[in-house]
Amino acid sequence: MKIIVAIKQVPERDARIRIDSAGKWIALEDIEFRMNESDAYALEEALLLREAHGGEVVVLSAGPERVGQTIREALAKGADRGIHIVSDALSGYDALGVASLMAAAIRDEAADLILTGLQSDDLGLGQTGVILAELLGICHASLILKIEKSDSGIRVLRELEDGWFQHIDMSTPALLTIQSGNTKLRYATLMGIKKAKTKDLRVVEAAALGVSATPCVLLDSVALPSRQKTTQMLTGTPAEAAAKLVEKLQQEVRVL
Amino acid sequence: MSTVLVFLEAKSGVPTRISLEAFAAAAQLAASSGAQLAAAMVGSASGPGFALLGGASQIFALEHLLLEHYTADGYTAAYAQLIARVQPDYVLFPHTYEVRDFAPRLATRLGRVLISDVTGFQASAGQILFMRQLFQGKLNGHYHAASPAPCLISVQAGAFRADAPAATSVPAATFAPELEASAIRTQPGEPFRAAAQTVDLASAPLLVSVGRGIKDEANIPLVQELATALGAELAASRPICDAGWLPMERQVGSSGQTVAPKLYLAVGISGAIQHLVGMKGSQCVVAINKDENAPIFEIADYGIVGDLFEVVPALTAAVRKAKG
Amino acid sequence: MTVVSHIFAIALLPGFILSEPLHFALAEKLVLAVLILASAWLFWQRFGVVVRRIRSARKDADFRLFPLGKRIWDFFWEVLCQAKVIRERPLPGLAHAFVFWSFLAFALVTTNHVATGFGLGFLDPAGFFGRFYFLFAAAFAIACAISIAGLFVRRFLVRPVWLAHKDHSVSWESGIIAGLIFLLMVTYLGAFFVPDTGLAVRLLWWAHTLTLLSFLPLVPHTKHLHLILSPATIFLSRGGFSRIPPLADDDDFGLVTGKDLTQLTALQIYSCVECGRCTEHCPAANTGKELNPREIILGLRGYLNEFGTASDEPLLGRYNSQQAAFQCTTCGSCEFQCPVGIEHLPVIVGLRRGAVNTGEWDDDHGGKLFLALERNGNALGMAHSEREKFITREELPIFDGSQEYCLWLGCMGGYDPKGREIIRSFVEVMRFLGTSYGVMRREKCTGDPARRLGNDLVFQQLAEANLETLAQNKVKKIVSICPHCVRTIAEDWRAYGTPPEIEHHSEFLARHQARLPGSGSAAGQSSTGTTVFHDPCYLGRYRNVYDEPRAIIREYGTLVEAERSHERSFCCGAGGGLAFLGEEQGARVSETRVEQLVSTGASTIGSACPFCNTMFRDALASRGNGAPQLLDIAQIAAAALPGISSATPADSLNHQVNHQANNQANTQENP
Repeated sequence: MKIIVAIKQVPERDARIRIDSAGKWIALEDIEFRMNESDAYALEEALLLREAHGGEVVVLSAGPERVGQTIREALAKGADRGIHIVSDALSGYDALGVASLMAAAIRDEAADLILTGLQSDDLGLGQTGVILAELLGICHASLILKIEKSDSGIRVLRELEDGWFQHIDMSTPALLTIQSGNTKLRYATLMGIKKAKTKDLRVVEAAALGVSATPCVLLDSVALPSRQKTTQMLTGTPAEAAAKLVEKLQQEVRVL
Repeated sequence: MSTVLVFLEAKSGVPTRISLEAFAAAAQLAASSGAQLAAAMVGSASGPGFALLGGASQIFALEHLLLEHYTADGYTAAYAQLIARVQPDYVLFPHTYEVRDFAPRLATRLGRVLISDVTGFQASAGQILFMRQLFQGKLNGHYHAASPAPCLISVQAGAFRADAPAATSVPAATFAPELEASAIRTQPGEPFRAAAQTVDLASAPLLVSVGRGIKDEANIPLVQELATALGAELAASRPICDAGWLPMERQVGSSGQTVAPKLYLAVGISGAIQHLVGMKGSQCVVAINKDENAPIFEIADYGIVGDLFEVVPALTAAVRKAKG
Repeated sequence: MTVVSHIFAIALLPGFILSEPLHFALAEKLVLAVLILASAWLFWQRFGVVVRRIRSARKDADFRLFPLGKRIWDFFWEVLCQAKVIRERPLPGLAHAFVFWSFLAFALVTTNHVATGFGLGFLDPAGFFGRFYFLFAAAFAIACAISIAGLFVRRFLVRPVWLAHKDHSVSWESGIIAGLIFLLMVTYLGAFFVPDTGLAVRLLWWAHTLTLLSFLPLVPHTKHLHLILSPATIFLSRGGFSRIPPLADDDDFGLVTGKDLTQLTALQIYSCVECGRCTEHCPAANTGKELNPREIILGLRGYLNEFGTASDEPLLGRYNSQQAAFQCTTCGSCEFQCPVGIEHLPVIVGLRRGAVNTGEWDDDHGGKLFLALERNGNALGMAHSEREKFITREELPIFDGSQEYCLWLGCMGGYDPKGREIIRSFVEVMRFLGTSYGVMRREKCTGDPARRLGNDLVFQQLAEANLETLAQNKVKKIVSICPHCVRTIAEDWRAYGTPPEIEHHSEFLARHQARLPGSGSAAGQSSTGTTVFHDPCYLGRYRNVYDEPRAIIREYGTLVEAERSHERSFCCGAGGGLAFLGEEQGARVSETRVEQLVSTGASTIGSACPFCNTMFRDALASRGNGAPQLLDIAQIAAAALPGISSATPADSLNHQVNHQANNQANTQENP
């Protein structure tokens, strides 16, 4: 089974968010970058599938030079080779544009499976994978927790709302977006890092892929939310405090 | 006249709450841009849900055997055909797990990009800006569509207030898309709930967790009652499980489970680091503790300082009352 | 002493002279020669194998023979003086020392004895020196015979558990060896009481010779191999306590297979005398866990005997289990106790390295810890912003190069509510003293848990990132509340650069003690009552700091000692990354230690490590009311500062007190 895993490099989850001078994006100085969390789970699923059924795991990522480090991390965790779509101006593309770059870069790979995380920790669009499936003309399923090989293709476990699940049988090639947290991530090892040094990393210039950068959707500006999380102390007699809390649980937390 | 088209989801034939929120958002958008409102839902036109969409000037019942069970291929094709027919300026969806699954695909087929998980919109300099959250809510982004109509938007749960459903006299028109069984490449199975034989704290959406403040094993039922009233699982900090008052599998923290529920209600837990690391991912933390300086209040969203032996029974009663 | 003077007195008595057979027939000489050759051959049959196996192991890349000074001292002190053997188990230790010293004394006697058999005896029993020396040796022989008999009784009748094998059986070979040694001594002493003509002296001579020649081949075939190897092992030690060697090359991932065992490790493995001191002091072995440090070493010996040093057979498998290797708290008791110079920690951490660097170790909590270190840069997996918030809230100055100290918060000080209380208290003291300090924004975990769990990749990344940040900030001196941070920065980081000078806050506090208000001063109303101090492993055994924290405690309370204290202190259970791992097998180490501390009757447990603190806090919680209060030495010192009304800023109840103190300290600084 040939599996492509599309991963994204994102600012670390607890990075200090400051707006850049143009007000269009966050200031990237002093920011450390990590592999997007649900992409890490997608990679883990791919590695587990390869360990069970053989084949090849190829990691794909788009972005500037620094993205190479995240690809090497994936190679260290066990991916066989990497493809890096290099672009310093990826933010000029919308989700369709990025997916188009990816489609162009991997169309000839003829992978059986393409896996990617459910959504990115920065933009949180949750779309690039599904768009890629449409562009490649292959079927997809999202929010996947488990992948099993079946006679006709694959059988996946999809998470629905409120603790419901569903199995879906599908043919390959297919694209799946993977939900975080279902498997245990492997940690990076010294041996993995040393092996990764010799693995093949193909670098493709975004400009060479013939994809239009004209976006359908534009991010005009970003702003910090006005209210940061603070603790609301609910006061009064026990009965009053309880009543206030129930109201919060109904109105704001929405769990009642 | 331009149109705002909203797709709704139904459960047992009735629109879901988040769908009604999307409907309300569509109505607002239509009102602010002087457009008419059209609504569409999968189901039979005679179904009860269609009569609840007061305010829509056009109502479509998407009906096809292949739409009975959700598939991304089926819904994408059907919705694309309705959009081609209605020619809306805006297409709205509730941001549900289904919509997340197929709407990006639908948008791509139309050569557009979905603006997903929108929390609000505002008119600005002749265009409409859509707000959505970035970085898990740590940043807000303002988007606008740069391509010609239609513009596709999905609306975050809770972002718009759904009005009480109003009756309508507009009859639902059946829209039967042309669908080929062979074009549907996935076979969905029956939805099921995970069997709850063993405690799975990690997947429980609501947790009531008890700590040393409970003082004695005999007081555990007090907290159990609150958990039952809330429909929550009972969890505990390490001293409680060490003492054998609750089984080890219910222990949250560095040497127990790591959880990230929607609600984590900490009762009598002071908040040692070993405990905090196991539950810091919770979406909402409520703490009840008699010590106002307990570290748990540092990470709590809501706090009640008081004697848990008074607060917990009061809360159980209030929850029961609220649930009716 | 009296024994010795008696011997000299007896030596002066005429006629009390060692008897030797006067001459030997040719046949006797031939038999003797054949027996010697057979004995030597049997000896070499085993000893040669051991030597070849040790030599065939990989070379220790970082081994340096020089400087010799410390090696010579260790050899003198630990081998010749038997200091470690005696200090840690005085009575059996002394008994062992007498056996050892007798062997030394007998070197000359035995050489002469064998030479006599060929008519080449060079010591005249009647001559002045011979007469003196034989009696001198006789005194040792008596001491040795008594000692070995005592040791025999201990092993076979008293039977301490740690001397037993894994299956609780006792070692029969020890009995035989003891018997032979006893026989050697008796046959020697007997020769003083027989005339040098006649059958008796000849029989005694031959009995002594045969005992000797039976003893020799038994040495390499039994644990008595330590007789020959352990002096070399002690002389050739790696130097430094718990010193984890750098990985040799790109293919070195730690101890994975027999190929990874080095010569020093192999030498140590064959030196083990199975005394069980390591096990006796091991917190894991004492709380019902699988880990038993002696069995780790003997397991490797079993591996070497079966597979050798060129095998691809994994080291964790038939002879040693992964579970045991990961139960070690790296407290270092075993290595500290070992009388034959075995360095257990490089071995145990080496086995962990082999399992972690290759990804073989699969543990939910361990994986989570490594991912937290990889992704968050702290062991707790907390958001970095939480640390920032704490710094802002406490108004801790940011280090900008102008301050004297960089205050290293560490994971516990930066994120743990209890650890933060310790930082708060220590900061109060520094403010009182007017010490200039600052904290770094981009501090990460020192990598201690990764280092001890054998994750070289994460450790290297953290060490390098921190070293770079420290260099950028031009930090010259660090002070830390955490002995683990101190050790890791001071020693383990050296593999990747030169760390700034670092000290533990106990050292800082002790140095400034004279300037702190004492308990007798007007301001210092504080008294912590009877206080038992728990020596953190990484402060005591690892850093040799015992008196500084005690000085602080003595100032404000009455110091009492737990049964296990100083270098014999019993671990809290947190070290070696175990604070972050899951459920323990058997009893909890922390609870066992707390029991030991509580049984002193002290009203306060004084600690000097945030990890010990957090472990004890949990263990004390289950003891309910009446448990002693738990205070870090910084909290004890801070409580006596002017403006602090309460003597005991214990737990969160007094959190508020701390806050008030903070505010007051602030107003004092900014009038």
